[in-house]
Amino acid sequence: MSNAAAIQPGLLQQMPLARSFVTVLSSTVVLLAVCFIFAPSSVSMGALSGSLPFAAIIAIVGLGQLLVVQQGGFDLSLPGAVSLAVVQATHYPQQDNALLLAAVLIAVCFALAAGILNGLLVSVFRLNAIIATIGVNALLYGGVFAVSGGTPSITTDLLATIAGGETLGLPNSVWFALLALGVVTFVLKKTVVGRRFEAVGANPLAARAAGLAVRRHQFMAYVYAQLLYCLAGVLIAGITREPTAFQGDSLLLPSVAVVVLGGTSLLGGRGFPVSTVIAAFFLNQLSQFALAVGVPYSAQTIIQALALGFGIGVYSFRWTVGQGKATEPKKVEEKP
Amino acid sequence: MKSLKTKLALAAATAMLALGSSGIANAENPSWCGPKEASLALLDGYGGNSWRQVTTASGKQTASLCPSITKYEYADGQGDTQKSISDIKSMAAKGIDALVVFGDAGPAVLPAITSVFKAGKVIVPYRVDVGGKEGENYTKFIGASFVNDGENWGKWIKGILPNGGNLLFLSGPAGNSQGLDELKGLRNVLGPEYKFVNPEPFAVTNWDPALTQKVLTAEIAKNEKIDVIISDFGPSLVGALPLFNKQGKSIPALATSDGNSLACFWEEMKATNPDFKLFTVATGNDNVRLAVMHAVAAVTGGTPPAENIFQAPMYEDSVSGKPNPVTCRKDLPGAIYLSSELPDEDQAKAVGGQ
Repeated sequence: MSNAAAIQPGLLQQMPLARSFVTVLSSTVVLLAVCFIFAPSSVSMGALSGSLPFAAIIAIVGLGQLLVVQQGGFDLSLPGAVSLAVVQATHYPQQDNALLLAAVLIAVCFALAAGILNGLLVSVFRLNAIIATIGVNALLYGGVFAVSGGTPSITTDLLATIAGGETLGLPNSVWFALLALGVVTFVLKKTVVGRRFEAVGANPLAARAAGLAVRRHQFMAYVYAQLLYCLAGVLIAGITREPTAFQGDSLLLPSVAVVVLGGTSLLGGRGFPVSTVIAAFFLNQLSQFALAVGVPYSAQTIIQALALGFGIGVYSFRWTVGQGKATEPKKVEEKP
Repeated sequence: MKSLKTKLALAAATAMLALGSSGIANAENPSWCGPKEASLALLDGYGGNSWRQVTTASGKQTASLCPSITKYEYADGQGDTQKSISDIKSMAAKGIDALVVFGDAGPAVLPAITSVFKAGKVIVPYRVDVGGKEGENYTKFIGASFVNDGENWGKWIKGILPNGGNLLFLSGPAGNSQGLDELKGLRNVLGPEYKFVNPEPFAVTNWDPALTQKVLTAEIAKNEKIDVIISDFGPSLVGALPLFNKQGKSIPALATSDGNSLACFWEEMKATNPDFKLFTVATGNDNVRLAVMHAVAAVTGGTPPAENIFQAPMYEDSVSGKPNPVTCRKDLPGAIYLSSELPDEDQAKAVGGQ
């Protein structure tokens, strides 16, 4: 008996990682196989090098959203944050390479300010995360209009080279995404701060009892997220020659979708950065597949929705059967 | 190209002659500008690109030619149908007398337009077909002839590719009437030997440069040979066209609408891309001028212009150099349209470039 009891917690700790990773990876492999059979052009080198930058963007905003979701939060200020970084990186320099660095630094400052505001509203003033971040999103869009007047501007050549170029056969944006993944994974899994961050997300009450600064970790989640959105925005500004002022709008849904597909519970807790990034590739490949099979637009949308629903459905089913007990303690934290 | 401006000057001259001794205040007014004072609003369904910015500036400049317009307002629906509807209603509620509406959402905004019309306001939807009837749902509809654009593209394609070939047609949001009309025009001219490789009726891009890039990536990979790309918003293709080079192909011929960034891109790429021929029709910013003239005429008691449909003229042809050779103005922002009659420097100001 004592043996079994000792093994059980160990299994529970190992299984979620294995499950989320295996599920998302096998879905991706299946999708790639389907692509090879029905739409081989969607996995050709040319198609991949054209579409991977967009997967990288989804991966980066997904990582930002992941950190917030880990703390049981939700960040709906993502569209405004990404759009603000985009217009800041294009409108401020007006195609003058010399001003690019200043533009990016200002964008980072905006991101920090937005993150601090989100963090204050949610972790200090205890506002509902959805409501607080929607408000901040509106504020950020105010900034987008102040900077751009709602119009696009052509990007600088330097940024186009940095974000849109290729190194060692891979688009640079993919390297940026891998770098972001490396940093997030290392900090979350291998540093004291990161372990505490996950512990707070898993159970704030227990974390507080253990003497951790719960509010500070919750606060910082929003700041980290904004920095990642800012990175994504600056990359979009380089990948797209003339990005619109609303380029972030289409990223909110994918950002949440990849977090869920990656296996992170929307109630918070343990995060799966690697799975999230694979899920971003999956989602992007899915839309390339829908485009490549050449069905009408309506059918493309339906294919994507069905595949996504199926993916999440299979996934949550496995969760409840296998891991229902493991997430049980979450109920405790609902109490104020 | 500047024909509307000439007409405008003529109209002003006519007005001067006609009014003769009727007072100095009216002496310089164009004929479509009557004596009754009124307020005017321009409502955009989606204002988030430079094309719309130049169009908005053109609308404003046209309205400013008529001193009877005492107040001019603008609202942007930001691509949100609900917001467009509430913009229309709230402008009317604020007491604006005449509304010029770019009804991007199509028939979805018709009920709002109808209710404003029934409340006794002058309302002129333009460019995008919103359904309904003149005098019943709105004062007047000022369309653009997109079929005409499609026919112009078709004739050019026939010229450079007489024996047929593979065509890729890109347009904006799914089912937009502009794309459908252009396709009609293309089909009027081109026979079955011209094959459209995109999904029916056109590849959906929402006129969003990022989505355009994704769509083009898929189409280039899927189709071994694309002879001509047809797009109704040329400048949004500029970021995506280098994808051909990435996949080891030449950029193909392009039939589209004009834009400074596109012309400069062509200049830059023509040497390395032997198949890259360019033909443009005027992008049609001046459509709004005709709509504003009609709205102002109706609300101030002026004489409306004779035309009800805006016909975009052909603009550039890299093969024949007629009516214009491809013209790049490197000293001005890429986001302006040399075909528009709004002076280039004013456009630069409108798009925030200088």
